[in-house]
Amino acid sequence: MPTYGGWTGKTLRVNLSSGKISTEDTIAKYKDYLGGKGVGYRVLWDEVPAGTKGFDEANKIIMGVGPLTGTSAPSSGRTSITTIFPTSYPWELVAAGHMGGHWGAELKYAGWDNVIIEGKSEKPVYIAIVDSKVEIRDASHLWGNGIYRATASICQEMGPETQVAAIGQAGENLVRLSVVNNAYSHSAGGVGAVFGSKKLKAVAVRGTGAVRIAADKQEWKKLTRYALSIMGANNNNVVPSTRQPWAEYFAPMSRWTARKGLYWGAADPPVETGECLPEDLNRIGMRTMKATYDMGPLAEKYTVRMGGCSSCPIRCHSHVEVPQMEEKYGLSRYAASTCTRLTAGTSGFIESYPEGRNGLAAVEANIVAEHMLDDYGIWDNYHQLSRDFNYICRSGLAKSRLSADEYKSIPWEKREKGDPSFLQDIYRRIAFREGELGSVLGEGSGLMAKLWNFPEAYFNDMRVDLWKMGHPRHHANEEVGQTGVLVNMNYNANIMCHSHRNFITCGLPTNVLQTLGEKLWGPGAVDAPRNYTPMNEAKARFAVWSLLRDELHDSLTLCNWMYPLASSPLKSRNYEGDNAIESKLYSLVTGDKKDVAELDLVAERIFNLHRALTVRDMNTSDMRSKHDTIPDYVFDDPQVGFGGGPEGRRTPPSGPPPKPFTPGTARMDRADMEVGKDMYYETLGWDKKTGSPTRATLEKLGLKDVADKLAQMRLLPA
Amino acid sequence: MAKGDTVLDRIIEHLDLPSETTRRGFLRVNLRTAAALPVLGALAAGSTKSPLIILDNAEGLVVADTTRCVGCKRCETACTEFNEGRAQPSLARIKVSRNYNFGPRGQQAGMFRGMGEFGNFRVVQDTCKQCPHPVPCATACPHSAIVLEPKTKARMVDQNKCVGCRMCQVACPWEMMTFDESAGKASKCFLCNGAPECVQACTTGALRYVSWRDLSKAIPIRRGAFPVTRDYKSAGCGNCHSIGKL
Repeated sequence: MPTYGGWTGKTLRVNLSSGKISTEDTIAKYKDYLGGKGVGYRVLWDEVPAGTKGFDEANKIIMGVGPLTGTSAPSSGRTSITTIFPTSYPWELVAAGHMGGHWGAELKYAGWDNVIIEGKSEKPVYIAIVDSKVEIRDASHLWGNGIYRATASICQEMGPETQVAAIGQAGENLVRLSVVNNAYSHSAGGVGAVFGSKKLKAVAVRGTGAVRIAADKQEWKKLTRYALSIMGANNNNVVPSTRQPWAEYFAPMSRWTARKGLYWGAADPPVETGECLPEDLNRIGMRTMKATYDMGPLAEKYTVRMGGCSSCPIRCHSHVEVPQMEEKYGLSRYAASTCTRLTAGTSGFIESYPEGRNGLAAVEANIVAEHMLDDYGIWDNYHQLSRDFNYICRSGLAKSRLSADEYKSIPWEKREKGDPSFLQDIYRRIAFREGELGSVLGEGSGLMAKLWNFPEAYFNDMRVDLWKMGHPRHHANEEVGQTGVLVNMNYNANIMCHSHRNFITCGLPTNVLQTLGEKLWGPGAVDAPRNYTPMNEAKARFAVWSLLRDELHDSLTLCNWMYPLASSPLKSRNYEGDNAIESKLYSLVTGDKKDVAELDLVAERIFNLHRALTVRDMNTSDMRSKHDTIPDYVFDDPQVGFGGGPEGRRTPPSGPPPKPFTPGTARMDRADMEVGKDMYYETLGWDKKTGSPTRATLEKLGLKDVADKLAQMRLLPA
Repeated sequence: MAKGDTVLDRIIEHLDLPSETTRRGFLRVNLRTAAALPVLGALAAGSTKSPLIILDNAEGLVVADTTRCVGCKRCETACTEFNEGRAQPSLARIKVSRNYNFGPRGQQAGMFRGMGEFGNFRVVQDTCKQCPHPVPCATACPHSAIVLEPKTKARMVDQNKCVGCRMCQVACPWEMMTFDESAGKASKCFLCNGAPECVQACTTGALRYVSWRDLSKAIPIRRGAFPVTRDYKSAGCGNCHSIGKL
């Protein structure tokens, strides 16, 4: 067998029921699926029976990194945690939570590509990995503690350099909306309670080994510098947010927020973010000043620095020091995260703050939320949790469903006053499943709606912003028209796909984007913002590209908040990025030379396997009408496209609601979206009638065994 | 270079050697290898046969601004990828990972009151001080395997001479020696021949390559070092310091 760079070659398997620890050959078994989600899907397909639920002993957790993780490939520090999701409703289906931080790279240095966790422990344990030495250790002293304390304790046992991925009380208590967290502020949503169900507190890693680069080192260095040269700021925003002498364009919503006069104000001494020229690779980490972007100008004086994942030049995690947090709330003055953590306090639990969304109370509320979420390990589900809470308050359901005693025990006066300590009360209820409110909120939107018998209006309420199956809308028609809708249809949890979004909102004017988009997907792929044209095949190709690249990124791994690099900040390139950058990085690191089409084919294999798993576990091939549903508000709500959360919602223009495909609206048309589905399925080689993969497509992708199994289950389209 | 400018000039002067020839001769040999040191000893007429253990000061060093470090660790992977062709922070000659979670003083300094990602967010990048004489790692090496890199006079490990005894690791008060477990050899910062990869890779300009200055007296040590000097080497101290001839 050829030896490859990138992969360590070893996959770890830990059975918590039997205590057996074993090793598998990554290359022999999983190379065709790269790593991350790809390997996760393959393991679930091969080993987890159809219909398994998230908390069943038969469910498995695959913590996967990929061949690029741990190297200098920019933004390669991510980990995918694939499992049957307990938040998916009414079917519990395959999905992945993703986290950045430093755990993934450490796993590679320890010599492992994936960790497959199976079975269920009887008592609390954690998995300790020190290079090739792996132990299942007692965690009874950690159980009941938050993530901060658990991480500190494990580091005392394993050494200060250990990277710990742990759950908090929420995961322990089987709160479905819970996370696994590493490196203080990096969490993977939806998977915490699956760890909890297996009595697994943490997986802690210390690695001293190496990830080999197959290519010549000078060639590799040249490529990493080239990749850096075509990257923008966070979300690959490629123009600055303010007018700069060196920049042809600027866009106020850009995350390239650095400028003269804007400081990391709490650095000792303060550091100016300053001018960050695109060519200056030694200032690329200063481009994104996220604290003020997320929390407003007041956050400047609290900012110590920016931070983020291993290998990433784009620092999107704000690190702030807010001294009064100690005295006022009994919390650490130091807080770190990015959106959505550092905007969670202003996303609906409390409707308004004394000095507004960017005032002092609002900033403090975001810090409170960050600590509660990251220490208890609660998943905010892209603010769906807070929007649901907001809904049950304003709809009167909280009052009608809760006992008088429980209702009275909630400090509503704090909510009215905009007192951030209200959040401490609510998040505690959720983490410990206190009372009816705490229990039901943590179940996630799908099960909660069922348990409390929500009216139909809930599902079509733009302020709730739910897409389907318990997960929220995430960069859909309001930003990318039909392409956004098609992207939002596919996954079984929060879609976390940013390929389309990164491109459309990169800050370049529409005509430049259209030129770039035409090269990638054909004419008509890109519309002007909220001035959409009817569906066409280029938009379907744009959607497929977005999804395949997302699968690719979560398997290699690369960050889908930066990649694909379809645009760049360089005028000298006419702002073109490099559509083949992933395949170039992959080829040099592994030595397995694949061009862009060949690597996209691997992504297609991975994506088809995801689809096959969804078909199998829903026990229907009719994806088109049973799975790929689109909420009515996309077609009906006159305000669609005018923002989500209660305070972020913009007032719609007056007069009659605009018709689809007229300037100023993101409304979609039902018949047009059906055409969209046709084109989308056709592009993927899926059956148009059902939206399921055909035998021909599966066999083309080397998934004959999957086709055979689906045929046997009568789930393969005719 | 004017006479008396460098440490070597001063030594040569002090030893009262026939200056020009010797000085050039010394420098010529020295630039190739620190094995030149016994040569200088031999040149000093009537001196002991013990080697001179003095190394000339380095030309430059990497300095770190802890307020600008954002903890991406790209310096560590650049150090080993572009030198050894593999990503391996444990081998990196700039050290961030070990301070990342809790800072240089570890968890004993507390969590929220300490440093690092779990403390006050200050990430400290440890870099080699390229110490002046007596250079702890080089003095401790029983095989004189720590020599001058010709261009920058950085102290570097001669991989052919290193036998992997780890005495240099014990000797460095800043714990800046690394050990390549797969090769069985020590390694340390050699300033990448004047273009340090870590500096090139730094995403925020927190690392700079500057003219050498003595940081060995300015930066707190990480631990009390274990000064090790072999007898034949300490005898060499006598070339300059003993109550003997000089």
